[in-house]
Amino acid sequence: MSTLIEIKIPDIGDFDSVEVIEILVNVGDTIAEEDSLISVESDKATMEIPAPRAGVVKEILLSLGEQVSQGSPILMLEASDIAADSAPASQGSAPSAPELSAAEPAPAPQADRYNGNVDVSAEVVVLGSGPGGYTAAFRAADLGKKVVLIERYDSIGGVCLNVGCIPSKALLHTAQVINEAAEFGDIGVSFNTPEVDLDKLRGHKDAVVGKLTGGLRQLAKQRKVQIVNGYGRFTSANTIEVAADGNKTVVGFDNAIIAAGSRVTKLPFIPWDDPRVMDSTDALEIQEIPKRLLVVGGGIIGLEMATVYDALGSKVTVVELSPGLIPGADRDVVRPLERRIKKRYENIYLNTKVTAIEPTEAGMLCSFEGPLNGKKGAPENDTFDRVLVAIGRSPNGLLIDADKAGVAVDERGFIAVDKQQRTNVAHIFAIGDVVGQPMLAHKATHEGKVAAQVIAGQKSYFDARTIPSVAYTDPEVAWMGKTEDECKSEGIAYTKGVFPWAASGRSLSLGRDEGMTKLLFGADHRLIGAAMTGPNAGELVAEAVLALEMGADIEDIALSIHPHPTLSETFNFAAEVAEGTCTDIYVPKRVKGKK
Amino acid sequence: MTKEADVKGNVKEILIPDIGDFDAVEVIEILVQAGDTIAVEDSLISVESDKATMEIPAPEAGVVKEVKVALGDNVSEGSVLLLLAPVTGAAAEVTDAEPTALVAEPAPDTVPAKPTPTPAPVKTSPTAKIDEVSFSTAYASPAVRKFARELGVDLGRVDGNGRKGRITREDVQAFVKCTLAQGGGGGLDVAPMPEIDFSQWGEVETQALTKINKLTGQFLHRNWVTVPHVTQFDEADITDLEAFRKSMAAEYKDKGIKITPLVFLMKAVVSALKQYPRFNSSLDASGENFILKQYFNVGIAIDTPGGLVVPVVRDVDRKSLVDLAQELGEISIKARDRKLKPADMQGGCITISSLGGIGGTQFTPIVNAPEVAILGVSRHKMQPVWNGTEFEPRLVLPLSLSYDHRVIDGADGARFTSFLSRVLSDTRRLLL
Repeated sequence: MSTLIEIKIPDIGDFDSVEVIEILVNVGDTIAEEDSLISVESDKATMEIPAPRAGVVKEILLSLGEQVSQGSPILMLEASDIAADSAPASQGSAPSAPELSAAEPAPAPQADRYNGNVDVSAEVVVLGSGPGGYTAAFRAADLGKKVVLIERYDSIGGVCLNVGCIPSKALLHTAQVINEAAEFGDIGVSFNTPEVDLDKLRGHKDAVVGKLTGGLRQLAKQRKVQIVNGYGRFTSANTIEVAADGNKTVVGFDNAIIAAGSRVTKLPFIPWDDPRVMDSTDALEIQEIPKRLLVVGGGIIGLEMATVYDALGSKVTVVELSPGLIPGADRDVVRPLERRIKKRYENIYLNTKVTAIEPTEAGMLCSFEGPLNGKKGAPENDTFDRVLVAIGRSPNGLLIDADKAGVAVDERGFIAVDKQQRTNVAHIFAIGDVVGQPMLAHKATHEGKVAAQVIAGQKSYFDARTIPSVAYTDPEVAWMGKTEDECKSEGIAYTKGVFPWAASGRSLSLGRDEGMTKLLFGADHRLIGAAMTGPNAGELVAEAVLALEMGADIEDIALSIHPHPTLSETFNFAAEVAEGTCTDIYVPKRVKGKK
Repeated sequence: MTKEADVKGNVKEILIPDIGDFDAVEVIEILVQAGDTIAVEDSLISVESDKATMEIPAPEAGVVKEVKVALGDNVSEGSVLLLLAPVTGAAAEVTDAEPTALVAEPAPDTVPAKPTPTPAPVKTSPTAKIDEVSFSTAYASPAVRKFARELGVDLGRVDGNGRKGRITREDVQAFVKCTLAQGGGGGLDVAPMPEIDFSQWGEVETQALTKINKLTGQFLHRNWVTVPHVTQFDEADITDLEAFRKSMAAEYKDKGIKITPLVFLMKAVVSALKQYPRFNSSLDASGENFILKQYFNVGIAIDTPGGLVVPVVRDVDRKSLVDLAQELGEISIKARDRKLKPADMQGGCITISSLGGIGGTQFTPIVNAPEVAILGVSRHKMQPVWNGTEFEPRLVLPLSLSYDHRVIDGADGARFTSFLSRVLSDTRRLLL
């Protein structure tokens, strides 16, 4: 009777890694307890690692020159079973590994060891093909690496391309056209009420997505990036097993980039099996135009979908738990949006919680708990034809067996990384939603490049100073850098310049006057924050990002000639307001010393 | 007294006095709180510069109304330290009696707190030398930041020469060149010190180094690594000197002046500096010239509870032994009370480090650069000395002179100590 056991490096003192300088046994050798197995050398001494028990060497798991540390496997030993071993004999050949060495409980999980064959091997494997993942894969390939890109869905591109940024923008543009056509009635140009063919509209949206994902496949092919479809999970610090339709592909790698993204956060009490309850992915499918739609969550995703369904003709109610819409942005820049949608939408309930959603024949019976139940606030309950739940996204860090690679994941599913996107395991990197907020595609792509470049030996760091945010609502709300609220709470002294779009000829000619551009400057007059509300605000904020990254100050912005008449002028004007040189509005002289 | 002053309860602002050539020093201890009654010269706060710790005394007596600084604040000359209601006879008593409730409440941030020890540094990473906070606010474009990362340059330490102090690519290059030219510790290609968890062998306690410890460490490390040291040992027969000193000491004892051997050493060193002027010089920054000094200031290394400090006694050549003895007495008290100003520690020509009071036969002091020499003095000892016919008991003082070999040759080093030894053996030579 014998048992196959894995012999590991025991506690060798305070050393991270020691080099194997001699292997003293061969496969097939019969060894006694305390026989020396290998010699290792630290910067202090050479020592021999003795066998913890007798047996026959079946396989040697390390090689000369390898760096090992406590817990690293040395060899597989078929133990001559002297001690009473309760393990059933039938398990003899399986590489089950009873821990012989007393491994200390460490904060980081201990990586598993994979002893099987590898189907595909790569220098860099990227887990997830969203904007972060494909960018990392392509950049690594461009830097000469052999890259494998793993994607669980058939279509690459991740949430952003398939069920996020891109399809929502296709629908939002439609919404804008519908709204503008309707508003033109007021200035003497009337269109008939639009007829919406949902199938065709959905087809248009899918075509946009298809073009982009098809383009991505082409880009991958040109770069010889191999795409492996299926659900990937780590099996060791150097292997990922990809499962698809019962088939398993083992991908071996030198370096990995985890780009596993995030998923919709699902509250447990919501009846998800009822088709009338939607997440953002379902909502983009526009199965129907519900008469009354409840949007749970007044953040960017919820309000963007509300914009679409409102334009298509739904009566929209938004319920938000916090005191304001789009938490995170300054209140003054959200206010124009709030004012507009308050008029258009059926109801906006702030400080209000949805406590229950019950499917009934008449619709979804939703119960609310808010400060003003029954009066101006939410009623105790109401029935809607459909409910869209958009309360946030959760990282996928816990769904990929990262612990088997030794990668530490926190209880929420986030993976901590350093400024080079490196996890606690030196050759495994993580990028995008799975490493933390903000969960935005443009953050992920930047991180993806950093990770790929670091793997290729470049000294890249995530040194960007701001990540802009945009809500593609109507009007759009965009901001970057510090918000005024943050300046106040962090005690940062700032100068503010605000230009109202009511004084912008371009904005007025669009039939809109509610927008604003707000710039914040630090004590050294350099731009530290910007926010815009109004049509195309999302495009305008890009200039502010460039200004901040380049360290532009009030004068730099005020002295740069902007084309007239454009919305971009408001960026220039806001700096002039801060400087006190703006002639397009009248600003009473600022009191000296007042912020 | 104006009426307005009355209404204000006659409260005065106490400002930070002239603390020497420093823009901002850190408040490391607050010694009073609102409500305290203080006397003139009572210490109010301790501040710490990169050279020394000092206590700021109260310029007048009174009751502390409000402390205006907090622990960790950076203050400079003219900063408001606290509001004081001066005690000036009857008027003060009235103002004091009424608003007692006002002073009863000490501000929460004035509770004297010990500086918390900084946590042990986290594991060194490739970017350990880069201060990420200052890097992230450096006035540099993304491309320059990338360039700095490639070279491992901490942008927070680079001076920008672009418009409005913007850091350019050239500034980063210049910084690297300058760092390489200086050599410094960074250029030594040595293996990093292994990180060891000492607690695995028994109980340990981690204590924070004081700021003086840390700064002294930095300076000493720099000097040890960059100055090629040679130490010349010698001995001086101070039998006669000691006899003379003891008689003088007895004479001046009543006047409260302590005549120590150190004052003779200072005088002797100055006469040696006059004889060998290269010892009274410094290398200039380019390393092309050395600067000869026409003044004779001597630094004295003093061991204090907070760490090593080196106050400088000026114009030793123009002061009498008694003057020096008196000044030395004052300086030692100041040093121990942490009241030395940064200016008190600048401008030295040479340093004397005397361990004679403690013991030891010889040691190798580290040159206090940019000075070029330091004299170490160990404990004197009665020894049999051959006078040509017989052994004679003589009091012998061991001397250790470390010098910068870039400026001073070995022969000059030996000449200097021999001269010093002769002067100390026969103090009449001091008159020459």
